[in-house]
Amino acid sequence: MPETAETSHLIVRNLLTAAWLLPLAAFIAQVYAVECWSNRLSRASGLLGCAAIGGSLVLSLLAVAFFPSGSGSAHTADDGSNHAAVDAEHEAHPSATPAALAGRYYTLARFGDSRLELGWYVDSLTLVLFVVIGLIASCVHVFSLGYLDDERTEDYRDEHAHAGDEQPVSRAGRFHLFFAYLSLFCFSMFGLVLAGNLLQVFAFWELVGFCSYLLIGFYRERPSAVRAANKAILVNRVGDFGFLIGLAVLWTSVGTLQFATEVDSKGVTASGLFEQVRGDGQLELSDDSKSVVLQRHLEAGDEPAPTRPTIAYTLFVLAGLGIVAGSIGKSAQFPLQTWLPDAMEGPTPVSALVHSATMVAAGVYLVARCYPLLAPEVLLVVAYVGAATLFIGATIALTATELKQVLAFSTISQLGYMMLALGVGGWGAGVFHLSTHAFFKSLLFLSAGSVILACHHEQRLDRLGGLRHRLPWTAAAMLIGTLAVTGVGIPNPWAPGYSLALSGFHSKDMVLASALAFVRLNPLHSLLYLVPLAGAGITAVYMFRLWLKVFVGRPADQHVFEHAKESPPVVLIPLAVLAFFSVFSAVGGESSWLYRGLVTSEPAFVAASSTSSAIWPITHPGHEEIHAAHGAAGLMVWLVAMAGAGIAIWIFGYQPFSADELRATFPRLRQFLLDRWRFDALYDLAVVQPVLRISRQAIAIDRTVIDPLLHGASRLLVQLAGWGRRIDELLVDGAVVGIGAWTWRSGERLRRLQSGQLRQYVLWLGLSVVVLFGVVTWMRPG
Amino acid sequence: MTFAELVAQWLQQGLKSPLGPFAPELVISAAIVGALLVRLGGFDRAIPAWFVALGGSLLALLLAVTGLDDVPRTLAVDDQLLFTGLLRLDPWAAFFRVYVLLFTALIVGLIVLTRLVDHEDNPDLFAMLLGATLGMLLMCSANHVLMLFLGIEMASIPSYAMTGFFKGRRQSGEAALKFAVYGAAAAGILLYGLSLVCGILGTADLQEFSPKLALIFGDAALGDRVAETRGLALGLILILAGFGFKLSLVPFHFWCPDAFEGAAAEIAAYLSVASKGAAFAALVRFLAAIFDPTIPAMASMGYGAGIVLGGVAILTATLGNLAAYPQTNLKRLFAYSTIAHAGYLLMGVAAWLVLLSSSLVRQDGTPAAQRALEGLVYYLVAYLFMNLVVFAATAMIRNQIFSEDLRRWSGLGASAPLLTGCLAVGLFSLIGVPPFGGFIGKLFVFSSLVDASSLHGIFWIVLAAGAINTVFSLFYYVKILRVMVLSPRSAETAGELNVEWADNSYLLMITIPIVVLGLAVPLVLPICQWAAGPWSL
Repeated sequence: MPETAETSHLIVRNLLTAAWLLPLAAFIAQVYAVECWSNRLSRASGLLGCAAIGGSLVLSLLAVAFFPSGSGSAHTADDGSNHAAVDAEHEAHPSATPAALAGRYYTLARFGDSRLELGWYVDSLTLVLFVVIGLIASCVHVFSLGYLDDERTEDYRDEHAHAGDEQPVSRAGRFHLFFAYLSLFCFSMFGLVLAGNLLQVFAFWELVGFCSYLLIGFYRERPSAVRAANKAILVNRVGDFGFLIGLAVLWTSVGTLQFATEVDSKGVTASGLFEQVRGDGQLELSDDSKSVVLQRHLEAGDEPAPTRPTIAYTLFVLAGLGIVAGSIGKSAQFPLQTWLPDAMEGPTPVSALVHSATMVAAGVYLVARCYPLLAPEVLLVVAYVGAATLFIGATIALTATELKQVLAFSTISQLGYMMLALGVGGWGAGVFHLSTHAFFKSLLFLSAGSVILACHHEQRLDRLGGLRHRLPWTAAAMLIGTLAVTGVGIPNPWAPGYSLALSGFHSKDMVLASALAFVRLNPLHSLLYLVPLAGAGITAVYMFRLWLKVFVGRPADQHVFEHAKESPPVVLIPLAVLAFFSVFSAVGGESSWLYRGLVTSEPAFVAASSTSSAIWPITHPGHEEIHAAHGAAGLMVWLVAMAGAGIAIWIFGYQPFSADELRATFPRLRQFLLDRWRFDALYDLAVVQPVLRISRQAIAIDRTVIDPLLHGASRLLVQLAGWGRRIDELLVDGAVVGIGAWTWRSGERLRRLQSGQLRQYVLWLGLSVVVLFGVVTWMRPG
Repeated sequence: MTFAELVAQWLQQGLKSPLGPFAPELVISAAIVGALLVRLGGFDRAIPAWFVALGGSLLALLLAVTGLDDVPRTLAVDDQLLFTGLLRLDPWAAFFRVYVLLFTALIVGLIVLTRLVDHEDNPDLFAMLLGATLGMLLMCSANHVLMLFLGIEMASIPSYAMTGFFKGRRQSGEAALKFAVYGAAAAGILLYGLSLVCGILGTADLQEFSPKLALIFGDAALGDRVAETRGLALGLILILAGFGFKLSLVPFHFWCPDAFEGAAAEIAAYLSVASKGAAFAALVRFLAAIFDPTIPAMASMGYGAGIVLGGVAILTATLGNLAAYPQTNLKRLFAYSTIAHAGYLLMGVAAWLVLLSSSLVRQDGTPAAQRALEGLVYYLVAYLFMNLVVFAATAMIRNQIFSEDLRRWSGLGASAPLLTGCLAVGLFSLIGVPPFGGFIGKLFVFSSLVDASSLHGIFWIVLAAGAINTVFSLFYYVKILRVMVLSPRSAETAGELNVEWADNSYLLMITIPIVVLGLAVPLVLPICQWAAGPWSL
């Protein structure tokens, strides 16, 4: 039924486009809100933002409903006018490729056969992310209405920022601006997910980075916020640099940045990246294994070219590493993880939306989206980076002293899990964990925000305690988040999908199962299973430590405790919504609706086990192997998590040791962790200080050498110009004036000729004829 | 040709060519009679004379335009002849017929708009205007020396009267007298030249020139037939003087500034454009008839004549531009500008004549000559609109402030932006600034000069003179705009401009074609190519 397919195709595109552009419209309205139609006391800007993102959510849900479900035969691509683009080869193997719709809005530029376009690419991953982003952003918007209520003033006193004389900085409220930034962020994030080619991804990638910069530095009077914003954008530059290199390699070697294969209105097929690199399955290597053969689409009449285009394998690996470098920066992976903890300087709703659920997950999304472009060696790098990150993040979280810091390191650690899963071939597990993590981590952050709001921006763990009596709802919400992230629950051995456990339990199970399956096939890389297993235990320890320190025990600071009071409903309702999804979003595990939906987008070659041996042999597990490992991995991770939870409850719940005793136990290790593995110190020593030294020398050279040179040159120029002017005035002007005067005099003389005497005129007539005759005779005698 | 043959030919052609192709001229004739007759019996209260004139000229224009399709596009000349060969209706003639009639209709419209004449004098002026138009129409299509002379005189004599139409004004009367006396002298010289040429050749039919010349010269060189050569040369110079008077070429231009200053701006515009277009059409036709490149002697004589014309063109353009400098009277200034443009146009004619004369010597002579002619036609079309705009604007300003003195115009631009804008377009087009029609016309003429310069070096000088003159002309044209727009209002400034919408829309109507001619060259060029095609002349 091509008609229905086409119609739903168009409907999905239009719905998602509308969902994407709605926040942009809101942004434009909000930016001009205060200047044009509202004031700083008005809530209108916030409500507008909520309405826009709510609208986007509804549109995304509608798009899910209209998305052609299940069968892989819907792999169509179009340019907006031609929908008959079903690849014959793909028709033959309906299950070989993920269901994806793609097309282009318009072409930006054309270089020979290569095109730069504004396009769109929609598969179930896109849809799930649209819904997740829409849902979380809606909750965060509503939460922010309550959280930033005190910004609705003409005179906001920022206690954390000081003017010169220790007085708090006083400034105008920025309620509308905050929502404008949020809207711009939502637009960028939707655009990133919807993008149909890598260049477009890169553009929105930078745009979300910029929004993150704006939001981290929202309290721009605070030096720490400004520093954190700068750090975030600079560290991300490092990763983006790699991303750009990857793009350049792909553009020069493959000739396109388009994801999907497209058929334009003239019936010419432009093969996308995925088809060119993977065809409909494995990488096709040349005979000497030194290059990857590209599989361009052949027209019906074409003979297969004798030599097909190839890309050197090293270049192919370089392109993959470049893309992964971008992901490492954005997702705060080792070794670029240092910016994320500092980013907690931004308002807490921002941390919940940008720095836990969505933007930092964009790196994971990119790896998942570009999965067919990544060589097995690159995936191995991804896996090790993920493992290192999750371990570093988890250990630092053990000793972190501030509420949001713990959550930030937890985010880093969980992102590491996702990367690991993708790296070991568990595509589904990675994106599944991405989705569930988005719910429970934003729940945790918003709960933290609720605590911070209740305790008047006090978030040091040693100043909090016993708050469950004061903030019962918040405590419950946070407990749900904690249970979800730790994966603690009561497993059901007969049907693991229907255990008495929360979403994180299922997704982490999947991650560990993938890792175990991988390690079984590649025993050399056993660390890739052991580290995440240990990490699961550590996660349980630090999360329960956090919850217990905040909500249980004696209040450390009576003043804070006395003044704490439960947050208003506008804050609590989003918590309830997110808690609901944290609990139920993954019910069913492997057979859950969410997982099954996501897996339809899985690249075809992931399903079966595969071995590659281009540089060194790596075997990636297929679905079967992962499924086989599920039981064992699930049991082990459950045991470890329960053990971790038990330790945490014993130490921080029953408090057998005093805080000082604890601190004194491993002082050097503790200091090492408090220094965040000394990464910041290392970068300071290796990068920041040398750069500063070089810049100081550059300044010195500038001052002593270049400036005098320039000044001398400019003085010389002024001198020259003076001479030039004199020459101009004397010669050129003189000539022009002279010619003018001469023509004027000639005119006057001619005028005298025209005397008005009739007799003279007629005389002239006769005379002229005689003279002309004379001239002609002289010219040609005879 | 015996009488019997003549009768036989007349019978043959007269039966084949009824009065149909001649309809526009007949309509104009009827309109002349009508304009004179409406005054009888008080018809003019119901139908004013201008109505008859406007209707007549529009109808004639319509007939001429619809007749374009019927013009025989053939190399067989006999099919194009009318009235036993007195007239020849080839695309060239048909095009210039439309040209003259279009301009006449526009000028009648302008005269009506500016209310140049009162109710009483209406019929007289229009009868003379249409009479002159009839003469010009005959000039365009004359195929016989007699018709040529008749046409020229028919166009000239009403012009003298129209110049002096304002009976009360002394200046006007004086100008008319000078014009008439000078014109009489020029007519005498022209007649003398024509009779010399016709006497030597023994025929007055332009189609017969070439066979007769072949009889006289054969393959001989010019030097072998000294007596005939000298006679022809003298006759041609005298004829050149006669045409020079019509075209206001230097040194036969003396009447022009005085006549323009004395006449009303509308009449000056008429003299400046219509009579110039018709005279160029007739000149080119006459030159093409006499300088047949297939006769070696005439080819070399045409080559020399082209060089002489080039020299005259340099003189004309330079003197026109230089003399325009100190003028403050707008009509006088535009008179000199007219002289200068006659110079540019004559440059095109000179280049054409040289290219034509050497067309058998050089490989691409014929197409190059063709291009030169097309360029000339294009220039004339642009010239029609741009000159009309400046004269019309002058007339409209004169109607408001009763002065044609530039010194009294300072600061007037602000009060009539549209009029000033149109005037500016016209002036810039006259200078030859892109993107206006004047630029394209000048470009074509100059490029044919480049073509010609490969034949004779003097055309480099002609080209340089044209370029320098373009720069010269910049100053006095822009001066008008400077005075109107940039200068503040002074004590001499006479009042305010209050242009009516009808005037504005008229100006806009004739300004838009200037821009179209500058931008949409492919739209107009085919018409010029048709007019100047190998089936003409």
